[in-house]
This record gives sequence, C-alpha cells and structure tokens, in this order.
Amino acid sequence: MKTSIRIAKKEIKIALREKLVLTLSCIILVLLGISLYTGVIAYQQQQKTITNAQEEKREEWLGQGDKHPHIAAHFGTFIFKPKTVLSLFDFGLDTYTGTSVYLEAHYQHQFMFRPAQDHSSMIRFGELSSALVLQILMPLLIIFLAYASFTKEKERGTLRLLSSQGVTLTSIAWGKILAYFIILLVILVPFALGLLLLSYWLKTPDTVADLGIRIVLLGSTYMAYIFIFVVLSVLVSLKSSISRNALLTLLTCWILFTIIIPKTIANLGESLYPLPSMKIYKEAILKDKADGLDGKTPRAERMTKLEKELLTKHKVDSVQQLPFNYEGVRMQAGEEYGDKVYDVHWGRLLNIFNKQNKLGSYVSVVNPYIALRNISMGLSATDLNASIDFQKKVENYRRIFIKKMNDDMAENSEYGKFYEYSVGLDMWKSVEDFTYKTPSIYTTLKKYALELASLFCWTIALILFLNYITRKTKPTNG
Amino acid sequence: MDKVTKTIIRYEWTSFVRNKFQLLLLVIIFLFGMYAVYYGTSVVNAQLKTITDVQKIEEDEFHQYQVSFDEELNSADAKRRKDIASDPSYAWFRHGYHAVLPLHTYAALAIGQRDLHPYYHRLTGMSLYYQLFENEIANPVKLYVGNFDLSFVIIYLFPLLIIAFTFGLYSIEKESGVLALLRIQSISIRKIMVTRLLFYFMLITGLALLISLIGLFVSGNMFTNENLLAALVWLTGVILYSAFWFSLMFLIISFFKSSAFNAICAAGCWLVFLLVVPAVLNVWMTTKFPIDTTHLAELTRRTGLENENDKKERAEILSEFLKYNPQYKASDSLLHNNGNAKVYAAFTALKDSHSKKDVDAYSLQIEKRNQWVNQFLWINPAVNMQDTFSLISKTDLNTFLNYQSALTAFHKKITSFYYDRLFWDKPITQEDYSLRPIFKMKENDERWNMVLYSFLKITLISLLFGITGFMKMKKITN
Repeated sequence: MKTSIRIAKKEIKIALREKLVLTLSCIILVLLGISLYTGVIAYQQQQKTITNAQEEKREEWLGQGDKHPHIAAHFGTFIFKPKTVLSLFDFGLDTYTGTSVYLEAHYQHQFMFRPAQDHSSMIRFGELSSALVLQILMPLLIIFLAYASFTKEKERGTLRLLSSQGVTLTSIAWGKILAYFIILLVILVPFALGLLLLSYWLKTPDTVADLGIRIVLLGSTYMAYIFIFVVLSVLVSLKSSISRNALLTLLTCWILFTIIIPKTIANLGESLYPLPSMKIYKEAILKDKADGLDGKTPRAERMTKLEKELLTKHKVDSVQQLPFNYEGVRMQAGEEYGDKVYDVHWGRLLNIFNKQNKLGSYVSVVNPYIALRNISMGLSATDLNASIDFQKKVENYRRIFIKKMNDDMAENSEYGKFYEYSVGLDMWKSVEDFTYKTPSIYTTLKKYALELASLFCWTIALILFLNYITRKTKPTNG
Repeated sequence: MDKVTKTIIRYEWTSFVRNKFQLLLLVIIFLFGMYAVYYGTSVVNAQLKTITDVQKIEEDEFHQYQVSFDEELNSADAKRRKDIASDPSYAWFRHGYHAVLPLHTYAALAIGQRDLHPYYHRLTGMSLYYQLFENEIANPVKLYVGNFDLSFVIIYLFPLLIIAFTFGLYSIEKESGVLALLRIQSISIRKIMVTRLLFYFMLITGLALLISLIGLFVSGNMFTNENLLAALVWLTGVILYSAFWFSLMFLIISFFKSSAFNAICAAGCWLVFLLVVPAVLNVWMTTKFPIDTTHLAELTRRTGLENENDKKERAEILSEFLKYNPQYKASDSLLHNNGNAKVYAAFTALKDSHSKKDVDAYSLQIEKRNQWVNQFLWINPAVNMQDTFSLISKTDLNTFLNYQSALTAFHKKITSFYYDRLFWDKPITQEDYSLRPIFKMKENDERWNMVLYSFLKITLISLLFGITGFMKMKKITN
C-alpha cells in the first residue's frame, strides 16, 4: 500500500509536467464550465417560458366564460412538458421529445414541437451538456493520461529497475490508478459541487422526486465509469509492447464504445422492430373505435346495448324518463371505450419502443458507455421512461377532466336541451391545475437494473483481472 | 511519374498488402459502408411505403366521392355520401388532400432531418395551422443517436481511417530507425512523404468512392439528368472531404513529432470538428436564439363561434372575412343559404390570418439561427459536408422550410377551390373533380450554388493546411 502511494505521488508529479495532460484538463474544465453555464441559461429560459405558458392556459381555462360543459371539454387546455432541474446536467432526450400537447374530448392528441426540429442537421452532431463532456470527452482524457503508464516504463527500462527493488507489478498498477483517479477528482470535485449547489438553488418547481438520492447516485455511477476507463487504460498499457499500440487500442475501444456501437444498436433496433406511421396508427384507432376492438361490435350496437341496459336497470321505457341526462352518460361511455382502444394501440407502440431500446440495455453489458448514458438520463429524468410517464399522467389528467364535464352534463342538464344548459367559473375551478412529479427513484432504478449491474460487474471484473494479470505478468521491456 | 516515385509506391503497396491489420480496417469500413447503404435504404423504403399508403387513402376517399354521383339515391346513406361529395358546405372540411414531400433518389444516403420532420400532411379546408404540426411517430432514443447512413460513414468514420493510416508515416520510420536510411538517399524526405500520402489518398478515397458508387447505384438510376448531377456532386464532395483530412494529416506530420503525439493530435482534431465545435455551437445557438413554441400550440386548438345563433357575431365575422377576401363581396347569400358552413369557414380562415404573424415569427427565428450558425461553417468542414450531403439529397432543413411554405400555398388552393363554390352557392360537380388542387413544390434554386459555396470553403481550408504543411516540411528538411 505504502509503495502504491509513493508511486501515485510520483505519477502525479510527472503528469503535472506533461503539457498535453494539463492542456486537456483545462479544456475539459472549460467545456464543463460552458456546459453548466449554457445548461443553466437554457433551463431557466425554458422553465420560464413553460411556467408562463402554463399559467396563461390556466387563466384561459378559468376565464372561458359560461358554456356547456361539453363545449368546454372541446375548448380543452394545453400541457407543456416541464424541465427537470437535472436536465441542466444531462439534456437526455429532451431535444427529441415533443413539448406540448392539446387536451380535448374524444381525441388523444400527440405531443408536438420537438426542439430539434428548429435546428439544421447540425443538431445531430450533439449538444454540449456536462453529461456529454463526462461521458465522451472524459474517457479520452483518461486514455491520453494513462496509455503510456506502463509502456513508457518498458520503453525506458525503468519497469525492470522497479521490480528489481522488490516492488510488485500489482502495487505499481494500483499506484498509477490511484494517481490518475486523484487527478481526475481534482477536476471533478469543483464541478460536482457547483452542480450540486445549482440544482438546489434552481429547483423552484419541485418536479424531480428524490433529488438528493439522484445526485448521489449520479456522482457514484460517474465515478464508477471513470474508474473503469482508468483501469482499462492501465491494463491495456500493461499488455502492450509500445505506447503507440496501447494508444491505438484504447482509441479504437473509445470510438467503438461511444460512437459506433450506440448508433448501430439503435438503428438495428429500428430495423428489427419497425414502427407504424402516424397515419396508419391513427387510422387503426379510428377503425377500432368505430367497429369495436373485436371488429364485430360497431359503435351503434354498443350504444343500443348501453341504452337497453340503462332502461332495464331503471325500469323505464325511454331515455327521456331516466333520472339523469342520457346524453352525458352516452358521451362518457363513448369516451371510456375510446380510452380503452387508445390504451391498446398506445400499449403496442410503447411495446415496440421498449423492444427497440431493450437491445441497447443488453449491449450495455459489454459497453459501459451505453450503461452510463442510460442511467444518467434516467436519473436526470430526461429519458424515454420519464417522457412516457409524463404522457401517461397527462392522459390521465385529460380523462379525469373530461369525465368531470360529462358527469356534470349527465347529472345537471336535461335530455335534448344542449344550448340551454351552461356552467361557469365554479365548474372550471373544480378541475385542478395539472402538476407533474417524476416517478420515484426506485421506479427509475428498476428500469435500469441491467445497466447498473453492468457498471458494477465491469468495476469488479476489472479489479480482479488487473490483480490477476499483474501477478501473472513478468516485467519486461516489451 | 519518375522512377523514384514508382519505387516508393511499389514499396508502399508491398508493405500495405503485408499489413493484415490495415487490410482488416479497410474491410471493416467497407462492411460499415454496406450496412449504411442497407440501413438508409430500409428507412427510405419504410417512408415510401407510408407515402404509398397515404396516397392510396386519398385515392380511395376521392374515388368514393366520384362514385357517389352515379349511385341511386334510394337510401339515407347514399344521399349522405352524395352530399359530402357535392355539397360544398360539407365538402370544404371533409375532403382530405395529402401533401407529400417527395423523397429524393439519394435520400437513403443522407437521411438528414428526414426522420425528424413530418413528410406528409392531410389537409382539408379547415384551419391550416390546426393540421400542420403533428409529428411522425419516432423513437426519441433513435433520433438522439442519429442515423447510420452513408453520410455518417464518410463524415465520421473515413477521417478515422485516414488518421489510422497516416499518423505514423514519418514518426514510425523514425522510431523504427528507417528514417536514417531514407535521409542518406538523394530524394528529399518531403517528396517521400508527399508521395506516400498521395498513395494513401488514392487508396482511401478510392474506397470511399467505391462505397458511394455502390450506394448511388443501389438507390436509383444514376444516369437520369437530375440524378447524374447529384451523383457527381456527391462524389466530388467525397473527394474534397477526404482531401481535407489528408491535408490536415500532412500538416500534423510536418511537425515531426512522435507518432503518439500525432495520433493524439489527429484524434483531438477529429473530436473538435465532429463533436466539440458543433456541440458548443448548438447550445450557444439555443440560448442566443431561444425559440418559444408555446404560442404555436394555441393554433392547434379547435375553436368555434362563441354562440352559433348570435346574429351580430356572425355578421362581424363575415364582414371581417370579406375585408381579407373581397372577391366574395358580391355574393348576396352570405347569411342565408348554408349560413352555418359559411360562417364557420370564414371563422377558420380568419383564425389563420390572425395566426400567420406568430407562425412567420417562428420561421424567421429559425432562419436567423441558420444564418448565424452558417458563418461558423467556415471553420468546420465536417458540419459543412454534412449540410452539403443533406442538401444534395434534399433532406436538409431548407427543404423542410420550403415544404412548409408549399403547404401553405397548397392550403390556399384548397380553400379557394371550396370557398368559390361555398360562397357562390355552387354545387361541386363531377367535372370539378378533375380541377381539384394538386400539391406542387418549388425547387430550391439556390441549391447548387449553396453546394458550390460549401465546396469552395472546404477547398480553401484544405489548401491552407496543405500549403502550410508543405512549407513547414521544406524548412526543416532543408
């Protein structure tokens, strides 16, 4: 252990002398700074726009004047996707998921306006977020820092000298790893503290559940990721004969992990599990609403059945004699059947998304980058699961609000008198404003069990492997 | 070609053929290229299928209308069908026209923004903006990682290949001790370097051209007028982009540093061009020109008259409508026949006129972003090239903006077709069906100029790097 610390001290000294390492560290620090700064600005801008718009829509809803509840259900309202405070760290999929949706009776509208649509094709090169810097650029700094850790000693013959003094390869390796880890921590700690302060200072609308745990978990998974790359680099350097080869091997791994594999897997998922087009998807929903989910119970038949049931139940012979407005009940029944149809089709769609993305999860077992990318988005609540959860809650809100309108129509208005009936502010107020909270940390983590296991196994496996290899290998000069 | 050059090339060829690793790299890149062509084609085929489906739906719809003219009107259903087909007060909001953004033959090679923007729309005479903003179904994860198309292989992967083949051209000779032998030859080191670089330029560019040619052939007939020009421009682009990376490598080599330094430097450049610069520009742009789509959401709300029976409100709407559309002033039956349909049509037309300002402001902001970011393309040949490729295959942002304006024009045609009949109380006849509006899109006249300008930028930067490298090498070797 002592030798390891002594070696670490020496490594840090040497690294500080290397201009390249210093420059790169500075660049990474600057980029982290920029990303945090722009992240905060973008977060505040968007949060403000969304809050204002949401308030405006609420006022519109409340100030719509007296009208029939069903007209109000068509007037509807809009919901805008709030930013989570951690999105200033990891934008995740926020650029590619829709931001606003129109809620009205009978139809489930889709989310509109993906921010990426306001960009030229340059957006596909990515956006600078702190997560991007840490996930993609940081490993590169590690590679540059550590690729020559053993090969240089071999090339200069110092490795043999060290072993002749009784220092084991294992303690040399750990000394080096310790040194690099400390250097990286020096870069990361100020950044992490800044991020921590910012996210507590900015979290005005409290959308993220379990913020504290999320931040701690983000910190530890990123640590694990960095650790994995440090050990991997040292290992490759140990097994390579010359620095050039170590560098090339590591760079190849980096390109494969961060660029080629993620893209190939996502594209492959799309080819294997094709999505329907919006047109076909919507036509299918319309068709099932008209003909019934089984294709054999058309709307008219469903309505006749409902009418008959109600008439027998209340022992009357016409809908006019029912103790409530049949129109309202019929409307709600139609709404509920529509919801059922929508759930079936939407469920199918989500199932395809899930299958497509599952491939990525499987590959994360061999690719720590994908593992970390998914976990990081998940913890920042900017992943697909968060987006789907939001959509579900919005749809649920729509259902509650439409039911309220229909129930009021059934209870308080008279059959056949549509324009004669109207409600006002009290009714509009009784529909609560929509507020959103992300799923709990437990729900989030459950979705990323495979990714978490991957990072954990990589860490353990690399430690064991390094110890094994350093004991087996004889110090040579390459 | 003199004898020495021939000798150098012969030796280079021999050493290239012997190096199994390099051969393997070429094969892998070739396979990636083939996968990219396959993937691009599959995406395009899926879109083609959707387009066919959509066109079929429109054909069926209009076929049904036309058939209804010859049907016997002996049932309520038949009468209803005839009404929808011939009565403008039903037809104006029921007849759905499909506008489709056509796929360029080479869209498969550079998918660009094609997966992000909707590329077909069903338009009726109702409010345009109500129908404009719905998105195509897409997996956000897939949108985020982007497409593995040929443009990706050429822009991201080929530079890596170039780096792998050339970073050690000088330094490896030095490190393996061959340099001393070369120095005592009568021929200058510079000449050897230039010849070797040219050899690899031919080899790698040849591979890129081969893959491109395969892609071009698979995608469609290269020898039609429009395609031939596009194909030649594509191939020129490939050569220029490859030349850019070779000139950059030449510059890096001319510093005569170690091969590890060259590799790090080249990887750094790759990272800067393909990741850091665009990523920084993207977030900078987002914060500098924030885009607020929440106002646009309002346009998708389905609104109606406050009270359909209020005579005053109806008169106000019609008189304002006539201000925008004086051609209908002479019609004396505005308030009488089909009053509801006319007022409703006037109402939606007015709504569009009022919303136009918001939509225009939005498009203007996107254009501003584009202009601002274009001035930085000088320093980034990678983004420049990506833009050019999507420009060639008409998958760039400009094409989609054009499509949007074409949609607006098309919608105008649709509304005037129906309004002319609605407001003048003329039924739609069977002959009218041959006059119905057809979607047309104007060509982007600037397209080839823009491509030429991009090529000029890339050429200038390549020359700058190449000449600097040449001068530097001369100074040292003399």
